[in-house]
Amino acid sequence: MSTPPHVYRWDLDKTYLQTDFDSLGGLLRTAMQRAADKTNVPGSAELLRSLRADASGRVLIYFVSGSPRQMRTVLAEKLRLDGIHFDGFILKDNLNNILRGRFRAIKEQVGYKLPALLEARASAPVEAEETLFGDDAERDAFVYSLYADLLAGRLPLTVLDQVLDIANVYPDGRAAIHDALARLTPADAVRRIIIHLDRRSPPVHFESYGPRVAAVYNYFQAALVLFQDGRLRARAVGRIATALVERHDYSLPMLLRSFQDTLRRGLVDYEAARALGEQVAESGVSPSVLGLFAREAEEMNMAPPPRRPGFVPDYPALLHREIQRHHIEKARRKGIRRWL
Amino acid sequence: MITIALDAMGGDHGLEATVSAAARLSLDRRVGVLLVGDAPAIGQSLRRHRYDASYVSVHHAADVVGMAEKPREALDAHPEASILVAARLVAEGHADALVSAGNTGASVLACARHFKKIPGVPRTALAAVVPTEQRRGELDDPFSLLLDVGATLGADADALVAFAHMGAAYSARISRNPRPRVALLSNGAEPYKGTAAIVEAHQRLLNDPHLDFIGNVEGVDLPRGTADVVVTDGFTGNVVLKMIEGISETVMDLARFAYRSKLAWRAGLFMLGGGIKQLKQITDWQQYGGAPILGFDRPFIKAHGRSGPRALGNAVKVAAKAVRSDLCAEIARTLAEARP
Repeated sequence: MSTPPHVYRWDLDKTYLQTDFDSLGGLLRTAMQRAADKTNVPGSAELLRSLRADASGRVLIYFVSGSPRQMRTVLAEKLRLDGIHFDGFILKDNLNNILRGRFRAIKEQVGYKLPALLEARASAPVEAEETLFGDDAERDAFVYSLYADLLAGRLPLTVLDQVLDIANVYPDGRAAIHDALARLTPADAVRRIIIHLDRRSPPVHFESYGPRVAAVYNYFQAALVLFQDGRLRARAVGRIATALVERHDYSLPMLLRSFQDTLRRGLVDYEAARALGEQVAESGVSPSVLGLFAREAEEMNMAPPPRRPGFVPDYPALLHREIQRHHIEKARRKGIRRWL
Repeated sequence: MITIALDAMGGDHGLEATVSAAARLSLDRRVGVLLVGDAPAIGQSLRRHRYDASYVSVHHAADVVGMAEKPREALDAHPEASILVAARLVAEGHADALVSAGNTGASVLACARHFKKIPGVPRTALAAVVPTEQRRGELDDPFSLLLDVGATLGADADALVAFAHMGAAYSARISRNPRPRVALLSNGAEPYKGTAAIVEAHQRLLNDPHLDFIGNVEGVDLPRGTADVVVTDGFTGNVVLKMIEGISETVMDLARFAYRSKLAWRAGLFMLGGGIKQLKQITDWQQYGGAPILGFDRPFIKAHGRSGPRALGNAVKVAAKAVRSDLCAEIARTLAEARP
């Protein structure tokens, strides 16, 4: 019997691409940009390429993005320019939403991403495990975690309905979610959710989702987490670190601080850090650089924050908090001080 | 990238203020901050802030020197105190400069134990900025430099002459004032007025071709800004500095009292609002960051014990500026030139 593939599902804006959709100007610029002018989040393309190149088994890469379908050509061209081979691409049908007067659906995340993820899962083998990539600009940590627990059959449908009520999802969206869920065989498939902290949100915010969610400041940190998960080899971590230094203005001290941060927050444990050092050494990285990383690992060899396996978040409470956080963030970005 | 070691445990507001300052600074992405102190507690606090992991790191120090402890005894009793560890890390080259809002005596002593004194410096000096009527330098700074304000109590003529050179070098590099006017603080403008040390220092400075020595100034000349660098002994300097701080706070308290007392006074204050705001900005010690300790081979900025995140952040910026402008090398050069 062949090994099931590993599925990677990526968001695009602010996860793979550096996009400004916080202002009307930024939104227009994004819409008019040519593929060659689009900028990657530092290290995202290198990581994506490594996930496929480094895999011991089959890998499937899908994109699920809130960008409008009209951008498919330019986005696909961008991925081609970056050397990314993908297996699927889901974009939002915003034109249809506008024509039908469903303005709430243009920005709403739960009613779009959750059914999209569930429907996409139907085409994957039951045994296939998944790693999901998102960011802190929208509700990716929430939607991905909800998807993971629904797929695993850990969440009662009554709780799902509560969440859909709070998110104010349109009736056809609710029906699509229930239909897709009914067709799926329960599987505890989502192994990891990586959240790129584009807005530098406090990491404590993501701890409520349990240890499956790893909030990272850059893709070197993501690579470290994926090395620990057995999804990347040490040489790929080295490759991503090198790309960040050579192409994205990172320096060795910046990587060291990022490395220390993953240890301090318990995203990577001491054993994984040690194993990384041993394996990178075999690939010929300078001993002095390795020594610096080893010293950081030794100094941070303290008990990591406790992990809670099988933990299911309180989704209705989390969604209320997400909505409030969104309002606070919006006010902060507009420079308005408010007491909420 | 410049890295500044910040004594995370120092100051009246302790860890919350220092961690908050480091987190805010990291978002500017200009300076790396090395927080030295109780690593698990710093980690717990940091995860509640918006920060950038590439710009913040933590080094564990198990102990703390209290604000009220006697410096020498405290450092002997706590060899792993955060201020001692931070000074050691700077001396070893893990950071470029040190900032602390903790116990002043212990901070100076910790530097003395780990840093080297620049050749030609008989005593180090704590320099503070004093708001003035006149502005100076390329940056149009509305303050002059007063030193020593309390690194040591007394100062002989040798020390006063060295203070003059160190203050001039600081003013030249930090305020970009190429030829600062230097004066001695005394009880009269005549050269024979003052203590024996002041009279001797006056004679020596008059014959010094490397300085623009304008003679003695009195207390009344300080707020006028007659001189750009005012030299005195630590005892007098500390009394003068605290008195200026007291007057500034009393004036603001009186304005608040007047605002609450009478409608007519309130209206008057409202009309003077712009002027009062400017006055408040000039006299706001938090915007000046901290006082540099001059004379060591590494920059050290002593932040006010009451410093909150903003003042600490400004202290780190001043420290980074001192590193960037190679202040210690400039002081060494100036003193070497002045030596007979």
